[in-house]
Amino acid sequence: MQLFIETLLSGLALGLVYSVIALGYTMVYGVLELINFAHSEIFMFGGIVGVELLLGVLTKTTWHPLLQLVFALIVGAAASGVLAVTVERVAYRPLRLRGAPRLVPLISAIGMSLFLQDIVRLVESLFGNFNRPFPSYIKGDEPDFFAITHPLVSGATISNTTLTIFVVGAIMLAGLTYFVNYTKTGRAIRAVAQDQSTSSLMGINVNNIITVTFLLGGALGGVAGVLYALKFGTLNPYSGFLPGLKAFTAAVLGGIGSIPGAMLGGVVLGLLEQLAAQYISSSYKDIIAFGLLILILIFRPSGLLGRKVSEKV
Amino acid sequence: MTAKPSEVMLELKNVNTFYGQIHALKGISFTVNKGEIVTLIGGNGAGKTTTLRTISSLKTPKTGEVIYKGKALHTTPTHDIVKLGMAHVPEGRRIFPRLTIRENLEIGAFSINGKDVIEERIQNGYKIFPRLKEREKQLGGTLSGGEQQMLAFARALMIDPEMILLDEPSMGLSPLFVETIFDSIRALNAAGKTILLVEQNALMALGIANRGYVLQTGEIVLSGTGSDLAQNDEVRKKYLGED
Ligand SMILES: Nc1ncnc2c1ncn2[C@@H]1O[C@H](COP(=O)(O)OP(=O)(O)OP(=O)(O)O)[C@@H](O)[C@H]1O
Ligand SMILES: [Mg+2]
Repeated sequence: MQLFIETLLSGLALGLVYSVIALGYTMVYGVLELINFAHSEIFMFGGIVGVELLLGVLTKTTWHPLLQLVFALIVGAAASGVLAVTVERVAYRPLRLRGAPRLVPLISAIGMSLFLQDIVRLVESLFGNFNRPFPSYIKGDEPDFFAITHPLVSGATISNTTLTIFVVGAIMLAGLTYFVNYTKTGRAIRAVAQDQSTSSLMGINVNNIITVTFLLGGALGGVAGVLYALKFGTLNPYSGFLPGLKAFTAAVLGGIGSIPGAMLGGVVLGLLEQLAAQYISSSYKDIIAFGLLILILIFRPSGLLGRKVSEKV
Repeated sequence: MTAKPSEVMLELKNVNTFYGQIHALKGISFTVNKGEIVTLIGGNGAGKTTTLRTISSLKTPKTGEVIYKGKALHTTPTHDIVKLGMAHVPEGRRIFPRLTIRENLEIGAFSINGKDVIEERIQNGYKIFPRLKEREKQLGGTLSGGEQQMLAFARALMIDPEMILLDEPSMGLSPLFVETIFDSIRALNAAGKTILLVEQNALMALGIANRGYVLQTGEIVLSGTGSDLAQNDEVRKKYLGED
């Protein structure tokens, strides 16, 4: 029972991280029908910026570890948001304005993904090793703040790391849901996702809304990057690939283009993966999780919360 | 319906618009005066929709000018044209299917600020089309064709436009509904709004228009007052289905 509860908690934390990354894929797909393959590197970039900031600056302060983390989250989010907007400007917008066929920006996205990996790798080789452990907050006799655990039922415990991921992840999901559904800009994002030319007839500057979408999706990716580093300890320039792929899968599982779908898909994938690792085999966890995903998609090809038919007008 | 004929609201000067190699508008020129209803009639593929899309900058003309209230629209991005007081109800209505009725109206007010004004205009739309109020929380995609046309109208009115471009508002509607829609066009015009109406239903359109232009494969082949055109033999033969 203890093991089961702890596996669920760990799976949920992992799933929330996937959800937050998956939102970036699904939002961009929603407005542009483009799979932003560079999103995995945008995620990795924010995480590395956050970790380096912690190691280089924040751990030298006397701030509470939580405050340090919040600061790293904000800066990581900003870094990833700006990077995502830049990627859109440089790699996607010029193609869009020239009316390139759909496959072309997809290739451009893959190129961007590889390019960003190598740029980060290059910067790393010039300025030192990025593959550094997430700081452990040991000061004197105090234990690492994020390693502190709290007892739950049946002898199960929950760590501050897991709790932090729950809280930050939930704030991200709730905040984005509110923004998209109840603000003017959020409404415009939904309108642009449905019909760009009519949106412009309504006075919406479609390019600005696309920028906002990349900014938000990117910032969420940066937050996820820092959380991922907190959970798994390190990030390197190639760390974006696998979680990125899984988050993209989560977005498809939930129904690509659907925001609640990405959230649900991430959580389902995280739980499946942890349960498979715990109870079947940790080396086959991905095969098991992805096998189940394929099964689900066979029965629900448009994803758990996806629309039956795409009604792009 | 008595317009001051002098004050020009919209003028197209020798407009040429292309889709790739297809020369869709071949040197179109016409004017719409303030307070008028002007109709553009013509068969399928004549270039009516292209004309409206060119006015709204959804399509950039290769040569020629579109002047509205002294401003060049052909160099103004679409999203800024609304701010000049021009609304465009596109062909096929283009309701946002996954926004609610109310959200569709709120999106119509995207370019204006002020909660109170927006709320007042939403309520005004509901007054004109009470059916929309009943369905306020329903998704746009669930409305019938006629209801979607009402919503498209109400959405266009959210900016309290001076001029409205209407692309085949009667398309696919039952005769009774067509009457309702034409009544509201008349009412809008009586309320001082200038209207450019594209229609295949030439008889009805000429019936309410001050003036009309007949478009044929990208060229204006005839023009005149609504009643003159309705009497014209060629128009009667081609567009009113008489032999
Ligand atoms: N997106 C497009 N790409 C290529 N050609 C187009 C496009 N849109 C319109 N055309 C062509 O331009 C010409 C004018 O089309 P337009 O839609 O303006 O006609 P219309 O008068 O509105 O017709 P209808 O009454 O059928 O709506 C047609 O020959 C059409 O095939
Ligand atoms: Mg048309």
